Amino acid sequence: MRYLLIVVLFLLSVFVGFIFFNKFAKRKKFFSALIMLAEKLSVDINFSRERLKVLIENFDKSTKQNLLGVDEGFLNYLDKKVELDEKEIFKSASLLKKEEKEFVLLFLKTLGRSDVENQTKEIASFLKRFEDMGAKCNAEYKKYGTLSLKLGVICGLFFAVVLF
Amino acid sequence: MLNKILPEKIAKIIGAKVNMKYVNELRFRADKPIILSVNGKNYFLGENGLTSSLKEALFSSKIVIEDIVFRASECSIYSVNEQIKRGYIVTDSGLRLGIGGNVVEENGQVKTITNFCSLNIRIPHNIKNCSLSCFDQIVHDKTIENTLIISPPGCGKTTFLKDFIFQLSEHNLTHNVLLLDERGELDIDLNANFYDKIAFSSKKMGFENGIRALSPDLIVTDEIGQEEDADAILYASTCGVKILASAHADSIETLIKKDFFQILLKEKIFRRYVLLSKRNGPGTNEGIYNENLSRIMAF
Repeated sequence: MRYLLIVVLFLLSVFVGFIFFNKFAKRKKFFSALIMLAEKLSVDINFSRERLKVLIENFDKSTKQNLLGVDEGFLNYLDKKVELDEKEIFKSASLLKKEEKEFVLLFLKTLGRSDVENQTKEIASFLKRFEDMGAKCNAEYKKYGTLSLKLGVICGLFFAVVLF
Repeated sequence: MLNKILPEKIAKIIGAKVNMKYVNELRFRADKPIILSVNGKNYFLGENGLTSSLKEALFSSKIVIEDIVFRASECSIYSVNEQIKRGYIVTDSGLRLGIGGNVVEENGQVKTITNFCSLNIRIPHNIKNCSLSCFDQIVHDKTIENTLIISPPGCGKTTFLKDFIFQLSEHNLTHNVLLLDERGELDIDLNANFYDKIAFSSKKMGFENGIRALSPDLIVTDEIGQEEDADAILYASTCGVKILASAHADSIETLIKKDFFQILLKEKIFRRYVLLSKRNGPGTNEGIYNENLSRIMAF
């Protein structure tokens, strides 16, 4: 019974550590995917001038998965199904901070509102900020992400030693 | 088709309380009442549908207008900027939105239009057989005469052209028709079998490329009005291609005064002129004229 408890507590600690690790990893992947989306929009708007809906739908599927549902929320807005607000767009993106949500929302609000030249300039300026945010998230991931995983393992071992 | 571009409230009222079959135009002006043109007469749009009372009218705003343009461009203004430069957008469903706003020019060329402040949404209608009364005057022994349809804006020129193409199919005339469609609205809901299309091209380029690449028997084009359009038509006529076109003018007299028309008149390129008006509603046929501009048929 005691051994079972030790194993359960160890796994639980590692799991909690992994949850935090995953949070930092997802945030990092989100900004990386957002940067790729913004770059693709900039290029395609210049080249094909295709509609936003088509461009977002055709965005690489595996990268799209890291966008935490923001792309789906935006597509719903384009289809006139929902309003373009934080509640609708970030339904599955609770990992983002308030100011990050506000900035991403501002980015989405500017999409499709101007001619090619101005749209490209706007995307470029947002891209710069996204890259800063992405770099910050990457640093957080390296610093806190791996730390949380290590702490989870250490805590698990601590419980194991204490209970043994 | 209006649901996609209009604000929900307005779309609901129009959907529930207005018979769109008779609506020709919807007009939105910043901070002014919304106006619907029904069979050529203007009414305000109120909570309960059409009204003549200004007190009951719903008002539009700049934000509403910008949102409609945004929606009409499928949320991608950049993709329709070439159309916006020319003052309109045509949606996939064939609605034409005329846009008023601030024109931004650079090096003498229109760059875009911003600050949209007025909007005229034209509702296309297919009026079956509306060209039939003129058909025998335009087509002799399976040969089509070069014909110009003239009328002021909103009198049914495009509808006439579309029905004429449909009638060619109905009469089993297997002419290869080329639609030279500068605004992309001629083939919306067009039920005909023998046509090709070049869209969003200038008349000059469209005529030259179309004749070379698609070998048409008949070129149908909307709204000629510039000297380069007249040159393109002259070029087509020397290639043996027949032409069915439309132009803005409220009478034959007005048409004669237009600069671009002088060369076409002198060369007697068009052998038939069909004059339309709104006298008894859009599409009222006022007469058919021959190459000497003498009326050969009155209605």
